[in-house]
Amino acid sequence: MTPVIPSGTPPAWAGELAGEADPELVARIVRLAATTWATPERIRQVVDTRLDGPTPTAAAVVETLERLAAAGRSLADEKAVAAAARALAAHRVRVRIPGEPGYPPRLLQAWPELGAPLWLFEWTADGALPDGPAVAVVGTRHPTLDGVATARELAAHLARHGVTVVSGMARGIDQAAHLGAIEAGGRTVGVLGAGFGVDYPRRDGAVRQSVWRAGGLLTELLPGTPPRKRTFLWRNRIIAGLSDMTVVVEGRSGSGALHTARMAISQGRDVMAVPGPVRSPTSRAPLDLIRDGATPLTRIDDVTDALGIAALLAPSPDDTTPPGLSTTAGTVLPLLGASPAQPAALAAQTGATIPAVMAAIAELTARGLAAGTPRGVVRVRP
Amino acid sequence: MVGHAATVAMVGLQAVPVTVEAHAGAGLPGLQIIGSSQAAGQAAERVRTALSSSGVSLPGRKLLISLAPADVPKGGARFDLAIAAAVLAELGVIAHEVLARCVVMGELALDGAVRPVSGVLPCAASIAGTDRRLIVCDANAAEAALVEDLDVVAVDHLGELIDVLTGESPPRGAGQPCATVPPAPPDLADVRGQPEARRALEIAAAGGHHLLLLGPPGCGKSMLAKRLPSVLPPLSDADALEVAAIRSVAGSGSGYLDRTPPFQAPHHSASVAALFGGGSGVARPGVISLSHRGVLFLDELFEWPRSVVEALRQPLEDGVVRVARARATVTYPARVQLVCAANPCPCGGGERCSCTDEAIWSYRARLSGPLADRLDLAPAVQPLTAGDLLQAGGAESSAVVAERVARSRDAALARGWDGLNAHIPAHAVRRTARAQALRILADAVEAGELTGRGYDRALRVARTCADLEGSELVETHHVYEAHAHRLGLRSPQAMLAR
Repeated sequence: MTPVIPSGTPPAWAGELAGEADPELVARIVRLAATTWATPERIRQVVDTRLDGPTPTAAAVVETLERLAAAGRSLADEKAVAAAARALAAHRVRVRIPGEPGYPPRLLQAWPELGAPLWLFEWTADGALPDGPAVAVVGTRHPTLDGVATARELAAHLARHGVTVVSGMARGIDQAAHLGAIEAGGRTVGVLGAGFGVDYPRRDGAVRQSVWRAGGLLTELLPGTPPRKRTFLWRNRIIAGLSDMTVVVEGRSGSGALHTARMAISQGRDVMAVPGPVRSPTSRAPLDLIRDGATPLTRIDDVTDALGIAALLAPSPDDTTPPGLSTTAGTVLPLLGASPAQPAALAAQTGATIPAVMAAIAELTARGLAAGTPRGVVRVRP
Repeated sequence: MVGHAATVAMVGLQAVPVTVEAHAGAGLPGLQIIGSSQAAGQAAERVRTALSSSGVSLPGRKLLISLAPADVPKGGARFDLAIAAAVLAELGVIAHEVLARCVVMGELALDGAVRPVSGVLPCAASIAGTDRRLIVCDANAAEAALVEDLDVVAVDHLGELIDVLTGESPPRGAGQPCATVPPAPPDLADVRGQPEARRALEIAAAGGHHLLLLGPPGCGKSMLAKRLPSVLPPLSDADALEVAAIRSVAGSGSGYLDRTPPFQAPHHSASVAALFGGGSGVARPGVISLSHRGVLFLDELFEWPRSVVEALRQPLEDGVVRVARARATVTYPARVQLVCAANPCPCGGGERCSCTDEAIWSYRARLSGPLADRLDLAPAVQPLTAGDLLQAGGAESSAVVAERVARSRDAALARGWDGLNAHIPAHAVRRTARAQALRILADAVEAGELTGRGYDRALRVARTCADLEGSELVETHHVYEAHAHRLGLRSPQAMLAR
């Protein structure tokens, strides 16, 4: 049988994109990446139907796909391949392939039946993704104030314990997680639902920049590929596969976070969910997951406990009234919870006057014990 | 000899003396007016006809009328009566020296009847204290009589003017002061529940602070706003006259001195000219000036065009509006207390609201930062519960609240402050506050919850809270309360900061 791609010296750009990997294989991978029909679903199908026996190598999958091309469907032409290679080189991308050096080890465990990608485009500041444990923190694009605070705190806690925070760069919980890790001086990896060089989420270039610096950015899409609904679904399996555990902070029913959690379950990874108020629409996804067997996150330390990492810091203080509060603030604080409270109701409950309750609210806010939301006052942990 | 009559023109709120000269000389018979490009043609015909209707036959000579000074804008028909009087003096019907002691204002009907004109009150005030009498029509007389130390003569017809000035009939005064009692503003006792909003309203009334009422439709935002004048102290004589003068210029003068602080609630479709003053030639006062010393209520704040809301900032800061038009730039006072109302979220809010926090933030972001910085209190007005509706009486009446407001204002006066707390320079307020209290606000600025201007405003509100409590110094709990009332004004960024 004649080889589909004439073997010979791989093009010069392949060496640069390959890093430690085999330049010849990288060249063939880039050709596949530029081929529109070579979607993750298609590759999965090839793996499932045409390859029997022990775990196939990436080269074997590539070979099969190229045969498929020879049998009728054409591969990307030279011009398209050269353009893709140029774009990848312009972003200083490394191409990571299962079985070759540099491919994330946890993702390799999911190769190939569990949906790990045949290739990954990796863009980092220091040439390699952070190693060590990793946890995905994901959730809705439309979070509540409490959800944002939880995601930040959770990510900061993980980062302080040397855990890499993985998320999907979307507005809301995802970005809160990335930023929480960065603020704590830790590492974080962003998986994009679009190619490099696409401003998505729009005008969030500064966030992408700081995540790039604090860990790295990953995608399996060629530079310039616009985000689509299916590209986000593809992205979710990478987020889950990169992480030891996935934590869902907030999400509505049918949200992308729920999908990521399902991918994690199918890849055999742990899933935790942050329980929220039963009546809140943003609690739907985490509560559904808990009902279906996910571990509820009852305190921030739970996540490090589950990973088997000893807490670095003192355990979080019990729910006692902090010292130095005024009398009214001390009586108002225990009445606050996750559901927004109104000053009038607090005054009726405590018997204090409105001026005293207003003063207490501002005092608690200034102390970081409460937060004013557009709907009322909620309790937060300092 | 040339006939002279004195009258007054209005440029904005300013009364400018105008002299009418009449000269009969050689030329084609007729009456010609010079010195005014606007009023000329029509006034001449009107005055000529009114004079004939009153039995004065005009000579077969050319009557030349000059309005001086020529560079003062002179619009409308307000000079008719003065022109007629000058002509009568020139014709020898009335004596020059009698007319010299009068100021004449009024519009003439073709049958010689005298009609009211606008702006009589400021005109009257400008000639009070001189030995000159003011001659106006009956409809204007009561308004002119509000000015003390002024002899007002009412005439209802050009013939009566002749009779009075020739001594044939005794001059009629302004008559009895108008018996109309201004309608009392609605009472706060009608408002059920809403302790937070009531408290904010009281603080606003005591310190002159600007208020933003946030609440779902139908929860009583307008109701609360309309009751603010009822807890404000009545206007002083000087303030009431100032308010009456603006109304007079706007053509809605009345024969009684209204001491209730004005309340104006323009609709959000109002134009910039309607709000800030406008009109061709010389601008007339707008709604914001008509609410001078009172309350300007902007309902549905987020429905207002952004340009209008932004334009509010300058008058709120300076207490005056300057309106430039082709013929004159006029300044109208606009020391208003701003009360705004808005829905708390895009869907209107209330129990069934399912807006995301993010959607609420972007909605609130329309409250532009600079305007939010000029508001002081943003209480949440709650939808009424069944309990509130069933509650029998019990709510405090305006009189009780007004008494506390008055006591609080007296406390500010006792410190020697000549103005409401909202208008006192920040450094003066800072001297009356404890260092600890200032520290709290400084921390809030550092945390990004307050801007520099927000710091000053919160401090002034805290001063008012202290005055309401009868406390000499601004304590920490006053500052906390002031800050809590501002929580609804924070930008989304500030909410996320903590």
